[in-house]
Amino acid sequence: MRRKDERGHWWTDGGVERAVIRIVRHLSPGWERRKIARKTRLHADLGWDEWYVLRVAKPIRATVHVTLDDRALLNLRTVGDLAGSVWGRMAGA
Amino acid sequence: MKARIVIAATAALLLLAARAAAQADSAGPRADTAHRAPVPDSARHARVPDAAARPAEARDGAHRWELLVGHSYSSARALLQPATLVLEQERGEPLYSVVDAAVLLRGSLQPRAWLEMGLRARAGSARPPSQRAYGAIARLFADLDPILVAAGYEYLADGHFVVGQSAATLELTPLGGAPGLGTWVSPAVRVRWRPWLGLSWGDGARPYARLAAEAAAGRVEAGLEATGWLVHGSGVGFVQGDLSVQLVGGLYLTTSGELGRAPPTFVAGGRVGVGLGFRLAAAF
Repeated sequence: MRRKDERGHWWTDGGVERAVIRIVRHLSPGWERRKIARKTRLHADLGWDEWYVLRVAKPIRATVHVTLDDRALLNLRTVGDLAGSVWGRMAGA
Repeated sequence: MKARIVIAATAALLLLAARAAAQADSAGPRADTAHRAPVPDSARHARVPDAAARPAEARDGAHRWELLVGHSYSSARALLQPATLVLEQERGEPLYSVVDAAVLLRGSLQPRAWLEMGLRARAGSARPPSQRAYGAIARLFADLDPILVAAGYEYLADGHFVVGQSAATLELTPLGGAPGLGTWVSPAVRVRWRPWLGLSWGDGARPYARLAAEAAAGRVEAGLEATGWLVHGSGVGFVQGDLSVQLVGGLYLTTSGELGRAPPTFVAGGRVGVGLGFRLAAAF
């Protein structure tokens, strides 16, 4: 299953997940990289406060070329939720 | 009378928005499917379920509304602090109460902006009317990464609705960028902080600064929020804090305290109490 981002590039769900995990790792200095995975909770595990999660919007636009709704970001719980949200914004194949 | 009309109007707006959101929700697919993984880890290469193939717009949650209940809508930290009800009684005296609660309704306007409307109360018979406050707010947030900007309009009144204050506010905070700013300092040091700078226009310009800090360990969490205003050339401060233990779900045993001069009267006061706390975040 592949989908297109806003610039017409093709992605697989696995590729989206890896890109999102890389972004989350970059925004979580001090955390052991391999401990950040799909099930990692943004607030409860990484300690992101309500607004910090908005920092993912810009790198996701830059690397995955998807524009996410800010308030949808505020409702995300896990890294997997974030990957799912990005995947959901891509156009179906 | 003016205060009651403003608060009643905001309450009516909240109810109308909630009703509209409920109708929109019943007409379309549930937005939380957007947050689900297209496939589970164990079957990453399996076929994506049909639900994930719906149009992205329908699963983006753009029309979702969110209802939050907490201590106060004055800041994110205050909203995450549980709403509290404290009962106090001395021998031969009537039962006194202390209530700190806020309800906030939040909805999207654009991908990078959203609107909040809320009501709050610092009340209870244990507080003298001059130290009670009732407020209503409408606030617009814009994410201008690397900063977040909030523009709002708030009506705040004392316990007798004698001292009232209408003010437009503009405040901003950096999203991150410093150790502990918005996220734990490290996995071992679960402490974070967030600064806000603001300006309030009511009966004159009133700059203010707010610093919120939080710490957590298991079911125990603590928070401190300090705000300083420049009122007619003099500095005025107010500090509130809480130590909460999660009992079950959104129910907490909370010790909360406050000290200083809070708007709208800026009368000096302070108290510490133990009570039940309640926090809710519901999306619909």
